[in-house]
Amino acid sequence: MKYHVFTRVSAGDDLMHVGTVQADSDRLARIYAHRTYDEEDWDFIGVVHEENLIEVEGQPIAGGRTA
Amino acid sequence: MSDDGWPEPAVDYVQAIADTKILLGQRYGEWMLKGPNLEDDISGASNAQDEIGQVRQLFRVLTRQGVDDEWLESERAPDEYANAATLDTEADAWPTFIVQVALTDRAAWLLLDAIDHDDFTGMVQKMGEDEYFHLEHHDGRLETLAEDQPEAVEAALEDYFPDILAFVGPATHDAESDPLVDAGFTDRPAAEIRRALAEHYADLFAGTEVSVPPLDDGVPDPDAWDETRRRVGDGHVDADVVDQLQGVSNREYVIA
Repeated sequence: MKYHVFTRVSAGDDLMHVGTVQADSDRLARIYAHRTYDEEDWDFIGVVHEENLIEVEGQPIAGGRTA
Repeated sequence: MSDDGWPEPAVDYVQAIADTKILLGQRYGEWMLKGPNLEDDISGASNAQDEIGQVRQLFRVLTRQGVDDEWLESERAPDEYANAATLDTEADAWPTFIVQVALTDRAAWLLLDAIDHDDFTGMVQKMGEDEYFHLEHHDGRLETLAEDQPEAVEAALEDYFPDILAFVGPATHDAESDPLVDAGFTDRPAAEIRRALAEHYADLFAGTEVSVPPLDDGVPDPDAWDETRRRVGDGHVDADVVDQLQGVSNREYVIA
């Protein structure tokens, strides 16, 4: 399963997408993310399962145009 | 008692933890390029680096107790390493490797965490920060392996459990009789650490097809237990592994 890794250097910064890890569980994804992207003294590092990302896409509207 | 307050058995105790960690570094290193995926390799390499760093700290405190640094680093025969017997040979498969390092790394951490002496204040806390990631990696892997390959996990547990119990110490070393507790060097007897280790894996594998071996008070046999090398018998790592640990083939490049 693919997890996306997000970090920030300082509190209040926006989160940055720094990469991905492959893991069989949330527990492993946390460890892999820390081990793989440990090049900074992050204020925050977190993972999001790719299935939990909400895709933003255009939808057809009346008249056949897209938003 | 040694010059600055260590009781005599404490040097052997710390030596066994240090030697187990140097062999953990070796075993992590052997597997870091052949794990199932890149993330496991990176984690294994990080674990190896942590272990070698911890060994340097433990060797430093051992030399302060009069242990010769040349002997520690480059002049020992294989049977002079007091590593946990679980690490004597390289695991032959990934599930076996994970069980091998999981049991051994956790046991070494529990022994280290039991030390109650000023020389280790701060050092053990820092090592614990490293160990959190080692032990979480192992347990996360064991959870998935218990689902995918329960027979392999259970077989490895049965193989390694007697040796890891010997490393922790005999059941007879309880709160009233553990010499290190009695001397005030540790605050948790071997009998309690054995129970903590067994309970951890019973909880981890609860609800899976993996059975954890029962905690046998007869293992190790207290009369056959070697207090110095924390094992039963005279087994040891192979000479070629010791050559690697001591950098024999590259000795001419040592920076004086």
